[in-house]
Amino acid sequence: MTSRGDLNVECRMSNVECTTRWLMTTIALTVASGVTATPARAADPAGTAYRVGKVVTMDAADTVINNAVVLERDGKIEKVGRAPEVDIPSDYRIVDMPDHWLTPGFVDAHNHTAGSLRDLNDMVYLTNPGLRTLETIVPESELVKQGRAGGVTTVLLIPGSGTNLSGFGTLSKMGGESVDQMVVKSPGSLKIAQAGNPERYWFRVGRTFMNYNTRQTLEKARDYHLKWEAYEQQPDRADEPEYDPIWHEFRGLFRRDFPVSVHTQIYQVMMTTIDMLTVRLGLRTVLDHCTFDGYKIAPLVNETDAYTINGPRQYHFDRTERRMNGNAARWWQGGVRTLGINTDAPVVPEEELPYQAAMACWYGWKPYEALRGLTIIPAEALMLEKDVGSIEVGKQADFGLWTGDPIDPRSACELTVIGGKAVYDASKERRF
Amino acid sequence: MSKAETPRGLKPAARRSRFIAHADWSRPIPRAGAFLTALALALALTLSAALTLAADPPKPQPKPPEKPAARSDQAGDEDADQKEKDKDEEKEEPDRYLAIQAGVVHTVTGPDLRGVTLLCKNGKIASIGTDLDVPDEAELLDASGFHVYPGLVAAGSSGVVGREPVEDNTDVYGLNVTLALAGGMTTVLAGNTVAKVTYGTLEDHVIRTDAFVNVSYGTGSPDARRRLRDSLDKLRQHLRDVETYEREKKLNPQAKAPDDKWIRGPAQQHLKLLKHEAVAIASASRAQDILDLCELARQYGIDLVVRGAWEGWTVAPQLGRAGVSAIVTPRDRVTRDERYNRPNGSSIENAAILHAHGVPLAIVPSNTAITTWGVAGRDLLHLAMEAAFGIRGGLPQDAALRAVTIDAARILGVDHRVGSIEVGKDADFAVTDGDILHYMTLVRWTVVNGRIAYDKEKDSLYQHIRPDEDRDRPAPTDYWPRRLGAE
Repeated sequence: MTSRGDLNVECRMSNVECTTRWLMTTIALTVASGVTATPARAADPAGTAYRVGKVVTMDAADTVINNAVVLERDGKIEKVGRAPEVDIPSDYRIVDMPDHWLTPGFVDAHNHTAGSLRDLNDMVYLTNPGLRTLETIVPESELVKQGRAGGVTTVLLIPGSGTNLSGFGTLSKMGGESVDQMVVKSPGSLKIAQAGNPERYWFRVGRTFMNYNTRQTLEKARDYHLKWEAYEQQPDRADEPEYDPIWHEFRGLFRRDFPVSVHTQIYQVMMTTIDMLTVRLGLRTVLDHCTFDGYKIAPLVNETDAYTINGPRQYHFDRTERRMNGNAARWWQGGVRTLGINTDAPVVPEEELPYQAAMACWYGWKPYEALRGLTIIPAEALMLEKDVGSIEVGKQADFGLWTGDPIDPRSACELTVIGGKAVYDASKERRF
Repeated sequence: MSKAETPRGLKPAARRSRFIAHADWSRPIPRAGAFLTALALALALTLSAALTLAADPPKPQPKPPEKPAARSDQAGDEDADQKEKDKDEEKEEPDRYLAIQAGVVHTVTGPDLRGVTLLCKNGKIASIGTDLDVPDEAELLDASGFHVYPGLVAAGSSGVVGREPVEDNTDVYGLNVTLALAGGMTTVLAGNTVAKVTYGTLEDHVIRTDAFVNVSYGTGSPDARRRLRDSLDKLRQHLRDVETYEREKKLNPQAKAPDDKWIRGPAQQHLKLLKHEAVAIASASRAQDILDLCELARQYGIDLVVRGAWEGWTVAPQLGRAGVSAIVTPRDRVTRDERYNRPNGSSIENAAILHAHGVPLAIVPSNTAITTWGVAGRDLLHLAMEAAFGIRGGLPQDAALRAVTIDAARILGVDHRVGSIEVGKDADFAVTDGDILHYMTLVRWTVVNGRIAYDKEKDSLYQHIRPDEDRDRPAPTDYWPRRLGAE
């Protein structure tokens, strides 16, 4: 790992030239290593040791370790500790970045760029049960590469908000050469949009009709689920219900295997969301956007287990109070602690996820809580907290190495690691 | 405002009274029939009568701009008559003092100064020091514990001040004025005018009109290129002819002066470029367009500013050698196109590479308006954050700050007035609660022309965010909790 490249124009030559140089170097090295007579090919390193200036672990004890070492093996975090206390096995590759911060890879609960953008909104019906984004994923696309330059490692790729119910989202890593390598979980969530965008459907529809339509769609799905559940509990009591591919995937939703992601904002609309989805239908709810005066329902959110993932609007100019309200700050003041940040990429570029946190702080939030809102909180919201979201032994080795406080726009992500593999290395190419 | 800095569109009478500035006779009267013409003439007569009345004798209000006698350093070319008259008018107008007890003063052009007092007199910085004689009548601003920066300079804006002519259209009580001030901005380029963000007054609002001469010289418009070169060639010949004539006139008084009646419109502007009386500005993002502009600047010896300059980093040495300045947005990103057999595209390092090759930079955000619709951080309100992104790309901290202060001012040709904290310059400050490039720093006061134009605690906009009573909180960089001992 070299330090920040000096401003040398040649090192930004075309890929062809870079590749040529890289090939030449590799050949030279291979020849050299052959000459030094290692009989067998040098074994691949068994793991990697990251020697860094600071690890912000984001664990339950809020541990921050200065002068730390993180050991990675088989894509998992093997050990985290102060440098003098961690023995680095001799067959480990060492990544020495003594001034850098190591933070968990960021998790964006509202992304549209891990798949093809043109398939974002299939606005066939006002509610489209059965659609899903799994088929639209594009591994190693330019947008994916750019996103991880901002330290983002896990995203929930969801369909757009052009209709009330636009399909199932896919939990995906920002690395991997095939869809299988990328996908963590499908369905990762059900996407529902309340008010705003879906009102544009056809010649416009109003909120009363939209709510009725969403409600009756979900009630059908619930009835289907309940029928099957009754049958599974007592198979001898009833005939096997008819299998319906449209409703079958909804069963996971009602079993709370995955959440519902709701495009929702504005006080009244958010109240409807909580009432309909969280309270009456009992769904695990991730409230996305949560902007404008939505923060007024904080007490309602606190009564439920809903997650509040705020963004990309980070402030709201309140005309009645003549105030620049920081949305995240107002939710926080309202006592909401399940508070995260999203980008709605490409509305805000995926790599600017930490900058969304910076803006939340500008408008009154706190940096440490904001960093939680980029990592462990969305990981919990998406039910991935056992695998990602913090630097703890046994979790996946997903992290970003930053030149400083990752929320500060002045800091740069220099290395992004997903499952132990470097997927972005600023010393080779700076994408942000 | 001295006479030398009078906005060109205004006549002396109008200058004295901004409220009749709209009576500008150079504008055409709409011709919609004899009746309309007659009506317009009648209106004009009435207005001119009003103008005469308003101008002579001078009425006590509207308040004339204050002109302290101490301003002699910049008023060399002012005719004595006018000066005397102005003095008479303002005899009863007392000097206006503001004394700021500062924590750290970031002068930008000099060292940072701790614990000094800034004494401003009549809108200018009169002195900086520790044991100053502060007049009793001075307004005091206790900013100890705060950072004082020169007011930020935005080399591009829309909707902060009015459209041109700016002094006729600015709403000095508009929300955007206060928001810009809350963002630390005191000077903006609006259209082709450089204006101050003056709250509640139009006094000393405009610094400079006709800041640039727009030139179009892209590879996409060969005709515009040809026209520009033709015009410059012709004018260059004209300048040579004038030179010859000047020489000849000494020998032969009957020598005929070269015809200059044809020099009007664009040619007039281009002549200013050749005479270094004006600076050219051109939008160019691709390397070829930038190189062609450099060549143009070199060939005709004109001063040039390039706006955009996405691929500037690929031709940074040429830009540097041609002495061309650039107005850039660090976050402008263009994906590399492998079809080109040359480095191309743009990344966040662009600004840093241009800076390393000596290209003077002004930084502007991608959206030069102020937005209150909330997709935050890409608009003019967060100008300082755009500069911070420059640092992410490798731009040194001081260069990033300069790119939104003195370097931006220099590019706009107003660095003699704004952009740094120096005695004699305008008293424009952004007083902040921390490093202005940090994401948790808010502006506490903004001072424009020696007046407190924005006070966070007195304005509801940001009052509730980190209020003064919370100031015993740790500094932003120590916000990180549970930091283990330094190792």
